[in-house]
Amino acid sequence: MSVALDSRAHGRRDRRPEQMILFSIARQAFLIAAEAVKEIRSTDGLAGVVVEFENSQIPKVRHLIPSGPRGRYVVSGCTHFHLPATRPTLALMLRQFRAAVLVDSVERMAEVPAVYPLPLAFSGEERIWYRGLAYLDEHIIPVVQPGGFLTREEFDRLGAAAPATLPEVEPQGSVQP
Amino acid sequence: MSAADRSAKSFVLAQLGDRRFALPADTIVELAPSLPLHHFPHTSPLLVGVIVRRARIVPVFDAASVLVGKRSSAHHFYLVARRDVGKASELSAIPVDAECELTSAELLPSEAGRPRYVRGRIAVGEELIDVLDFESLVSEAAAAEQGGNRQEGAG
Repeated sequence: MSVALDSRAHGRRDRRPEQMILFSIARQAFLIAAEAVKEIRSTDGLAGVVVEFENSQIPKVRHLIPSGPRGRYVVSGCTHFHLPATRPTLALMLRQFRAAVLVDSVERMAEVPAVYPLPLAFSGEERIWYRGLAYLDEHIIPVVQPGGFLTREEFDRLGAAAPATLPEVEPQGSVQP
Repeated sequence: MSAADRSAKSFVLAQLGDRRFALPADTIVELAPSLPLHHFPHTSPLLVGVIVRRARIVPVFDAASVLVGKRSSAHHFYLVARRDVGKASELSAIPVDAECELTSAELLPSEAGRPRYVRGRIAVGEELIDVLDFESLVSEAAAAEQGGNRQEGAG
């Protein structure tokens, strides 16, 4: 059964169809706007590149990818969404934020007709995590907010904890979305 | 309790586990059949996911975990109610275990010491049934969960 959701019932929504990446973490599906992802890299390709650093305040970040003068923080998708730990195989390198998100798999690209607001009943961290909800293949799937993986304050705290100098590296195993 | 509160009103009787509860009928939109429950990560207390009903995304609250002390396992029906959230209003659903009944009764005061989400009681046959305030139920569950989290964090 296919259902077209009533946009009037959900108030304002993003009306333009959008290309999105359908990915999964701990068997949970998520969507992210394709234009928010700069590239997708395999974690195998990152293994010899990432810098580990001590950071007890923000447990979801334990690695940094040397990239530019300040590097890119690697966010564990499992820890971020409070999901069971898994072995991520891919990293989504975000376009507008110095962050990469570890995910288990990328399923496919999908055209999402609309993003509906998260119901107001949801009042926790998910209001930062998600832009809204999408209806795809008869499932309701959260659409992640790229800026929700690390807040400005978290960037500042990570900046204070990160190594002062980073090695130069060549990217390996990357895919453009 | 005012005289207006005490006059006969309509209530929807819902079965959760082995107990029956009542909700004011004017807050109930419909009794929906069993529908796929969509889960995704979140941290809001009592919420178990969303259903799609009449082209709307409706959040589902597991009221049974507060009212009867265990989570609903099989969601046979969803009681869909209108709920005020701040200045807005949106639909919310509670899984219930059997078809609901509509009854008219006088709202009686609740017993001392009952939770704040119990607005009062109604007499149905020889049974006295708690009348729930959905809004208070959700906010008290949220407060209880936050208190529990703080204790866990402290311990």
